[in-house]
Amino acid sequence: MNTKPIVLVVEDEPLLRLFATDMIEDAGFEVIDVANASEAIAILEGRPDVRIVFTDVNMPGGIDGIKLAVCIRNRWPPIAIIITSGKPWPLGVAVPHEAVFFSKPYRQDRIIGTLQSMAA
Amino acid sequence: MVLGTPEEQAFDDIVFIASQTCDAPIALISLLDTERQWFKARIGLDVTETPIDQSVCQIDIDQPGVLEIADLTQNARTSDNPLVTGDRAFRYYAGAPLKLRSGEVVGRLCVIDTHARPEGLGDNQKTLLSALARQASDHLELRRIARSSDRLAELQTALVQVGERIRDSADVTTMTRESSAIVGQVLDVSRAGFGLVDDEVTCIDVEPDWTAPGVASVAGRHRFEDYGAIRDHLARGEPLVIPDVLTDERTRDDPAAMRALGIGALVNMPVRQRGRTVAVLIVNAAARRIWLPEELTFLRSVADRLEAGVARLRAEQQQDMLNGEISHRLKNMLSMVQAIASQTLRDVPERAPVESFERRLVALSAAHDVLLQTSWADADLRVVAEAVVEAIGFGDRVHMNGPPISLGSRAALSFSLVMHELMTNACKYGALCREDGRVDVDWSVETASGEPQLVVRWRERGGPPVLAPTRRGFGSKLVRLGLVGTGGVELRYEPDGFKAELSASVRDLAQA
Repeated sequence: MNTKPIVLVVEDEPLLRLFATDMIEDAGFEVIDVANASEAIAILEGRPDVRIVFTDVNMPGGIDGIKLAVCIRNRWPPIAIIITSGKPWPLGVAVPHEAVFFSKPYRQDRIIGTLQSMAA
Repeated sequence: MVLGTPEEQAFDDIVFIASQTCDAPIALISLLDTERQWFKARIGLDVTETPIDQSVCQIDIDQPGVLEIADLTQNARTSDNPLVTGDRAFRYYAGAPLKLRSGEVVGRLCVIDTHARPEGLGDNQKTLLSALARQASDHLELRRIARSSDRLAELQTALVQVGERIRDSADVTTMTRESSAIVGQVLDVSRAGFGLVDDEVTCIDVEPDWTAPGVASVAGRHRFEDYGAIRDHLARGEPLVIPDVLTDERTRDDPAAMRALGIGALVNMPVRQRGRTVAVLIVNAAARRIWLPEELTFLRSVADRLEAGVARLRAEQQQDMLNGEISHRLKNMLSMVQAIASQTLRDVPERAPVESFERRLVALSAAHDVLLQTSWADADLRVVAEAVVEAIGFGDRVHMNGPPISLGSRAALSFSLVMHELMTNACKYGALCREDGRVDVDWSVETASGEPQLVVRWRERGGPPVLAPTRRGFGSKLVRLGLVGTGGVELRYEPDGFKAELSASVRDLAQA
């Protein structure tokens, strides 16, 4: 029986997606990875067992990571969110409840620590 | 203009002397404009002005010398004048021109009798009348100069205020609205605004404008064509100066659009750039108005300054956007480097060097964030240091003290790497690995050796016993590169705590 918490990784850049996936798997999580927000929403609609979403901000396809985070907060309130970006967090926009922002490049130990406390 | 100003003793004296000298019951200083004559001073007459077509003074006004009409009832140009035919019964007239130094004739000093005087004035009387007229002209001139220099000073002050608003405004709307308010108030008009025009000079986008109480805004897009034949004028870059929209040839055919906006008179001052009209400063008055040359000069200066200010802001916004984009790409590239390194070194059993690499990369990236906030200009030393401490933690145990110091972009990057190594070492081996350990970071500028030197002192206290390292790793080499990458570093492994002293010339720091 699989008891690892499930993390959904949303990142359009393949190399960074691979990196994030390996990092999170090595830390003892199960990872589902997708390349944009629409795919992420499709996964969430079919998988009620996702605990955490780890998302980039700038992605093609109209919905960026910030909008995705707001959407998740409204539709799936229990899911915790980690948002990462090479851009600063936009001025005047509130970070959604139960979400954490990290600037890219991030320290792996910080991300893993945050994932572990979210899953606990 | 002196038109409409209160009576003054000097002018009253002049008409009194004229009346006595010429033995006439009526004497006037009459000032002429296009529609009326107005009496600056008068004796023997109960009206202060008349329509210009009832003015005897304006007859042959361009002729020098005294105009004398012995019997007004017998002269073709005055016989049907109501002042002659009516109760006032003017019969005799003699007037000397009031001529300013510029050559402009502004009216006449005249004497009037209710009896025809076929003998006319004597030579002496004529000479005296002319001399009195010159006196009156000088007084008029002095008053005009005084008034116009007061006005100039007022406009000059307003121009300085506009300059300050333009300099201090962080966005286009604030800049144009506040400048327009100053213009509108100093000119006492009903509306003032500024707008950029399109390439073909067909439309103007008016920024939020200033209006007098009760006057509607015209902010938004307007087509010049809708307001009369004004477009070509502006496209050529000529100021559009209209004292009366109902009579001006460019607007009189269809003044409805102007009247709907409550416009009686206007100035549109174009701003040119590379031979093209790019913007227009708009001033509207509710009633007819004569626009003075100094007011137009003032408006030209304001328009030029506003355009330069708006262009500056636009350029800054573009630069900020570009900086943000470059920074974003740079940080994505650093993320890719991190990902490649992490994947490449995945099977290396010793994890410490791999982690050190990642932390240094993140420290470099944090320094970029600080520089982005200042658009890659100078960054403050304390802000750079705090960004590093923030990324590593222990902010409550690292105490900083020193004056503001400006670091150039390269110095900011190398200082942040040095700070990062010192912090990492303190966490691993020094004061920060004990709960009650602390670090003091003090800096000051010292001028003892001539050229000002920045000295940064790092002192650890409360850590475990200090041991000098047996080999020099990359971290200690990084620290030894110092504040600008050229050394100036002294490290002391003293028993009570590790100390580092970093120095560099202030000039090198700002330029690096």
